[in-house]
Amino acid sequence: MRPVIRATLHYLALVVISAIWLIPVYAMLINGFKSNLAVLSTPVLVPPTSFSLSAYHIVFNALERPLLNSLIVVIPTALISTFLGAMGAYFFYTLTYSFSKFLSSLSDFLFSLITLATFIPYQATLIPLTRLVVSMGLLDNYLGIMFAMLIFYIPTGALLMSMFISVVPRSIIEAAKLDGAGDLKIFMKLILPLSLPGFISTLIFIIIEAWNNFFIPLVLVTTPGMRLIPVAVESYTGGYGTIYNETFAAAVIASIIPLAIFIFLGRYFIRGLIALGGGGKGV
Amino acid sequence: MVKIIAKNISKYFKKRNGYVIALDDVSLTVESGARFGILGPSGAGKTTFMRIIAGLEVPTKGELYFDDKLVASNNKIIVPPEDRKIGMVFQTWALYPNLTAFDNIAFPLTNMKLSKEEIRKRVEEIAKILDIGHVLDHYPRELSGGQQQRVALARALVKNPSLLLLDEPFSNLDARMRDSARALVKDVQEKLGVTLIIVSHDPADIFSIADNVGVLVKGKLVQVGRPEDVYNNPVTIEVANLIGEINELEGKVTKEGVIVGNLKFPLDKSYKSERVIVGIRPEDVKFTKDLINDENWILVGKGVVKVIGYQGGMFRITVTPLEGSEDEEIVTYMDHPLKRKEEVLIYVKKGSVKIFET
Repeated sequence: MRPVIRATLHYLALVVISAIWLIPVYAMLINGFKSNLAVLSTPVLVPPTSFSLSAYHIVFNALERPLLNSLIVVIPTALISTFLGAMGAYFFYTLTYSFSKFLSSLSDFLFSLITLATFIPYQATLIPLTRLVVSMGLLDNYLGIMFAMLIFYIPTGALLMSMFISVVPRSIIEAAKLDGAGDLKIFMKLILPLSLPGFISTLIFIIIEAWNNFFIPLVLVTTPGMRLIPVAVESYTGGYGTIYNETFAAAVIASIIPLAIFIFLGRYFIRGLIALGGGGKGV
Repeated sequence: MVKIIAKNISKYFKKRNGYVIALDDVSLTVESGARFGILGPSGAGKTTFMRIIAGLEVPTKGELYFDDKLVASNNKIIVPPEDRKIGMVFQTWALYPNLTAFDNIAFPLTNMKLSKEEIRKRVEEIAKILDIGHVLDHYPRELSGGQQQRVALARALVKNPSLLLLDEPFSNLDARMRDSARALVKDVQEKLGVTLIIVSHDPADIFSIADNVGVLVKGKLVQVGRPEDVYNNPVTIEVANLIGEINELEGKVTKEGVIVGNLKFPLDKSYKSERVIVGIRPEDVKFTKDLINDENWILVGKGVVKVIGYQGGMFRITVTPLEGSEDEEIVTYMDHPLKRKEEVLIYVKKGSVKIFET
């Protein structure tokens, strides 16, 4: 095949895939600007004839509190799980390379267990988790939601960071050992700075996962003032009827923060992934 | 400074189907303050041996002493690497890429609870010796290869180690830099008096730095001695090849000498096996058109010029015996070229022919 034709087909495929991804986003954006009647009476992909900000206005007032709640819960959760996950990943890394065969097998076994734990569906743990949080007296409390999320996201952080940490050249860690540095110092001074792109990738991934987590806040929150954004957005599709233009507007507002994070930190996300293949040169 | 004693050290690596023997019963003593070289082809276990000394690897069997203190024995590390007072320069130098040259060199000192001024003083002192004072605020990626190597050396030396380990430290430098780097290492070692062990596959490193050399082949320590002695009296053709260029000829032992095609090499003693390998260093060979009247040079026969090369201001001449296999080649260096296909007389220096039983 000639290079021109090959490139054309290549780009055509990219355009089609991008379009498939963008159509729902486009629909979500424009329908929030329509009046409720127009949403029901015009096709979903046709832009509004008259722009109205009223839906956004109403929804934003209602979502202000859940947005704030989500930020309060998600940002510390993501930071803590990435940091502790990275520490855990380094711990297992050092165990794997220890001289004791028993310890390195144990480390492999425990790490597999943790990896497996990240695949447990939340729903399966719902009742014991809720009972645990209640017995800690943390139901309907930021700390309770954070605690529950950390249970799931620290292993995720460890799993992702273990990939990024294993890219740091082993000789650097050995040199630091010979220089008399302890593991905490090696972690803080060398591992963390050298796997920073990976750290940011993991952080972004966990922010987005936690932001979209629906079940944990649904179960652990009992008062409307404590609701997180996914639960608040879901409440727009009610049992008795749906106000479509407000639902679309709510969806837009709920996705602004992950979207903004991705736009501003996206290049670090990519850089982290590149570092995986390039021998840690993404620094 | 410290004396290193290795007693019957073996190292096995577990592989899917059985074990790989990296080191096989290596025993060695390196005197305090000595410069010792370990020479060997890649995969011979050189780096493994050095890592065992450093404490980054544990010997499967055997014991390792620093002076009379046991530091590792039979699959157990007794003194961890950080307590062995070792400075090590890795093959890749392993500089910390996120720290400046200054912080790289200061890193070992920050683990010693020294005051900031004391650290600054010692870093600047060693940087001055190694001539890197002007690049201390640069990051490793902003330094040239030679500077990076000197930063790595400074980092190894700044903590006043008792033992300096160099793992192929010059292989990442270009040829021009190597000689000055070797001289620098030797100078610094002499100044500080630290025990030094260098691992290399390049005999030039060994000759320029080490007083004694141990040759590792397939995990076994096959010869230990002064580099010149190993060069002149290698125990096997492999060792001879490792420590310098040598001509290898397959010959047959007869009463008159060793026969290779039409060439006849003198015998110094009798050999059990009939097939032997004749080894001659290039500098112990002469090709001439006329007879030489010098009893130090022995005529072994006639040959034909096969290849003429030019290298380092000298002509590299390859000659094959007039009769016999074309695969047998003798190489030497001359200050004037010969013609291709020209017939020449082959002389060898008296007492220089090495004969190895196969």
